[in-house]
Amino acid sequence: MNPMIRKELRQRMRERRGWILPSLYLLTLSAVITVAYYSTAWGGSQQIQGWQVGAALFLTLAYTQLVLLLLLAPIFSAGALTIEKEQRTLGGLLTSLLQPAQIWWGKFAASLMFVLLLLIIGLPVLSAVFAFGGVGPWEISMVVLTTIIILGTISAISLYWSSAFRRSVHATAVSYVTVVAMTVVTFIIFLIAVSRFQDRAGYSGWSAMPVSVKAPLYLNPIFFVTVSLVPRGQLYPEWFICLAVFFAVAALSAALTLHNLRRSGDVA
Amino acid sequence: MIEVDQIKKRYNGSRGLDGFTLRVEKGELFGLVGPNGAGKTTLIKILATLIRSDSGSARIAGLDVIADPRGVKRVLGYMPDQPGLYQDMRVLEFLEFFADAFRIPSGQRHSVVDKALEDSGLSTRRDSFVEELSFGMKQRLFLAKTLLHSPQVLLLDEPATGLDPMARVDLRNQLKRLNEQGITMLISSHILMDLEEICTRIAFIADGKNQADESGRTVIELRKEDASLPRLYEVEVLQDAEQAAKRAATFPGVTVLEVQPSRFVVQISGDPAQAAEFLRHLVSSGTAVIKFDRPPATLEQRYRSVFGGQPR
Repeated sequence: MNPMIRKELRQRMRERRGWILPSLYLLTLSAVITVAYYSTAWGGSQQIQGWQVGAALFLTLAYTQLVLLLLLAPIFSAGALTIEKEQRTLGGLLTSLLQPAQIWWGKFAASLMFVLLLLIIGLPVLSAVFAFGGVGPWEISMVVLTTIIILGTISAISLYWSSAFRRSVHATAVSYVTVVAMTVVTFIIFLIAVSRFQDRAGYSGWSAMPVSVKAPLYLNPIFFVTVSLVPRGQLYPEWFICLAVFFAVAALSAALTLHNLRRSGDVA
Repeated sequence: MIEVDQIKKRYNGSRGLDGFTLRVEKGELFGLVGPNGAGKTTLIKILATLIRSDSGSARIAGLDVIADPRGVKRVLGYMPDQPGLYQDMRVLEFLEFFADAFRIPSGQRHSVVDKALEDSGLSTRRDSFVEELSFGMKQRLFLAKTLLHSPQVLLLDEPATGLDPMARVDLRNQLKRLNEQGITMLISSHILMDLEEICTRIAFIADGKNQADESGRTVIELRKEDASLPRLYEVEVLQDAEQAAKRAATFPGVTVLEVQPSRFVVQISGDPAQAAEFLRHLVSSGTAVIKFDRPPATLEQRYRSVFGGQPR
């Protein structure tokens, strides 16, 4: 096992947030599912079927979980390398026989594992919707898989910022700006592009829109999760394009982080 | 063992190193002396493969630091001026992590870590968190970590900074022991007394360049008589040293440098016979001399002869 992963996990689990964050995360998910259940099952005047309650709860939980994890992921990765600079321990790592790629992988895996821990402890809550029907293992698997890919990309981006800055506070702030840019700004750009497109071409559906209009959404985590909810046969092309875009961003971030790591001896 | 040839490094337009050259032989304990900003840390970081020089070459144990950084890391131990430690790890965990990071086979790791704990005197603190250790213990822990992979060469950047007097003595003794085991060391330090006690040779550095003393030497052998330095003699007397110093000043070739209540320091030009003649003159003129000594030139004297004035 990469010694960095063992070290990182040991240190992370010793931190107070190692148990506070999972507790808060579960409490929030439980509160959301309770509110969503009562507002769906008892809020409307119409008679509602069990599968409709299940589907509504699932969607609410899937998006809530995504938003919570998007907010939490930078906490674990944006400070991962800056803390080594702040503690002046990076020099010790760089002068050991650990390769920069091993340092990156150790930091990335440990950051992602902690976020995945949250995702996993939330699974029983997510699976509670099975009791109502309307949602099957396929939907849950796709949402979980897509969320993991998104979190991996956010962790890789935050690690890049961590390699680029000297202070954790700066790296974390810029990581949140990136998350907001990916989730909100891309959506706003999409709305502007759609509006201009419709002005030119009149009303047209999703399939008629050119890629240049849809492009900002391929970087949007919420859109990525949304397209993972389509039936199996309709994953292509949108889900696969998002997958490729997220992988490309993660790979670029990793390459740039390694580049920075190799040149960080002067601050080590 | 350490060869640095015309190495240059610039930082944002300013010079870090400007053609510095150095050669440290195998088994030497070599000191690097210079004012703040002279380029000592830059040089050590280049040798430790942390930063790349702009030009020139540097080799450790025959391995080029740029062409074969991994090979260099295998034979090198590096201790920075502010050793970074994971405060939230236990002493044992810290050493085990670095033993793993230095690719010490798992079968040997346990014994290597145990030996490191024993050698550093931290066996009883193996389960303590690093943050609970004193500064001196932390320094010992870092040195223990630096020695885990049995390096042939040690680079130490201001290792005694912040240590109390006893911890400094401990560190000096530990470095001497390591040197006796055959480890070559390059130490930069501001504490001239420490370097003087343990180093065999020193080099002066300022503005990123080698600095020469009055006789043009860039490397000075500390254990050898230095004919280029002025011959200073310390005279201790029974009666008023001021009167005795006045009498001493009348002797040809003698300059009184310092007078204290019961002793004075003179510089005597010429050969040792002139000093013997001076002593005879003092005694015959009625001065009760109880000590006449020629202490070896201190590193501080040499430092002043290179940089002038007070150590910066």
